[in-house]
Amino acid sequence: MSSDLKHVIEALIFISQEPLTLERMKAVLEGATCEEIQAAVDELLEDYRSAGRGIQVVHTGGGYILSTRSDHDRWIRKLLQIERKNKLSSAALETLSGIAYHQPVTQSEISAIRGVDSTYTLKTLLEKKLIKIVGRKKAPGNPLVYRTSERFLQYFGLNSLDELPSEQEIGRILEEEKSSEG
Amino acid sequence: MPETPEEPLPGGDTPVAPPGPEAAADGYQVRLDVFEGPLDLLLFLIRKKKIDIHDIPIAAITRDYLGYLERKTEINLDREAEFLFIAALLIFIKSQMLLPRETDLAEQEDPRQVLVNRLLEYEKIKAACSLLREKEEDQILQWKRTFLPPLPGESELDFAEVSLFDLAESFFIMMKRRAAEDTRIIKGRDVSYEEKMKELLGLLRDGQVLDFNAYFETQESLEEALVSFFCLLELIKSRQAVAVQDELFQTIRVWLRKDARRTGHHE
Repeated sequence: MSSDLKHVIEALIFISQEPLTLERMKAVLEGATCEEIQAAVDELLEDYRSAGRGIQVVHTGGGYILSTRSDHDRWIRKLLQIERKNKLSSAALETLSGIAYHQPVTQSEISAIRGVDSTYTLKTLLEKKLIKIVGRKKAPGNPLVYRTSERFLQYFGLNSLDELPSEQEIGRILEEEKSSEG
Repeated sequence: MPETPEEPLPGGDTPVAPPGPEAAADGYQVRLDVFEGPLDLLLFLIRKKKIDIHDIPIAAITRDYLGYLERKTEINLDREAEFLFIAALLIFIKSQMLLPRETDLAEQEDPRQVLVNRLLEYEKIKAACSLLREKEEDQILQWKRTFLPPLPGESELDFAEVSLFDLAESFFIMMKRRAAEDTRIIKGRDVSYEEKMKELLGLLRDGQVLDFNAYFETQESLEEALVSFFCLLELIKSRQAVAVQDELFQTIRVWLRKDARRTGHHE
């Protein structure tokens, strides 16, 4: 059964476009326990790692998804005729970073943190589905409240907000910046 | 708008971030546009002069800051305002520091504190940005099968459900069709919401699919039509019914969800 389960899970991950969560797998695989599923997933990850494949199962966005390996990027771009994948603009990244660390936030709060009006940037982030509206704040004007989305986690290869760069990592970057200037 | 090639901020280098879309869109051309905003500029000046962020010489930094602002050739109020706001804040802080005080300075909060806190927070976000940029660059190389349509939700079929806006749109169209109705003649009878709901549920029993536009047309009066629309909204809101519309202006098809149908039988 255990190898069977592993193969079913492989099929489920193969067909999923968004990261497939363990909960979702459990709902589909009636009868299998969380432990069994987790063990099968771990085994699957190991299989892909050891077999030297062109694709891999990655744990991201709180679930599991198939992706190509980084070193095959240029071949894929050639096949798809894509010159370069667009990255986020620095305004978008800065806004996203501000939201990630201060969420839930309103438009005026994030604008105050950046010192720049962020209305337009918020709109583009919403269109990219990297942030979501989670409600309205009980404050004058009932402004919309924003949070980062599941896609945000997946975009940066994170599984939860706990995996955002920590205070220590940020502190280290700041130290490096200061010492290289000195 | 031409794409500016973007590099992650190299650790320790000056923030040479390309302009954001807001800046590029309105052709903000001066050197200022390499800064994301006034805080970015201020942070740059502080670092350039190797100033301790907790002990900023306000007069000197304000002079530098205004010097940068003066380099620009034309005024763009939208973006300028943000830079000028911080300039005003700097001058305000300086004036606060010059004012004679009754109590000892040590006992009072440093007027610079508010700005320092903002700068420290902004500095952290900037640093987090460079770390996130590294992650983005790693992730971007790993391609995923994003070309396929997403899986359907947990329980329902693979139809695109209509949103509230689609519903409202269709409703207004239907209302327009009825607008020609002569309101001077009183037709029909009073309809209660409960009656209408019962009627609607009756039509939807046993997995019947209802063509809502056709149903709407059969309503005798405007009032009745309105009530039936409210009933539909209520059914969707309570997740008892699914409303599906293949294309805008086409009919809305409505049916009860499977779980709702089951409970419906017991009523």
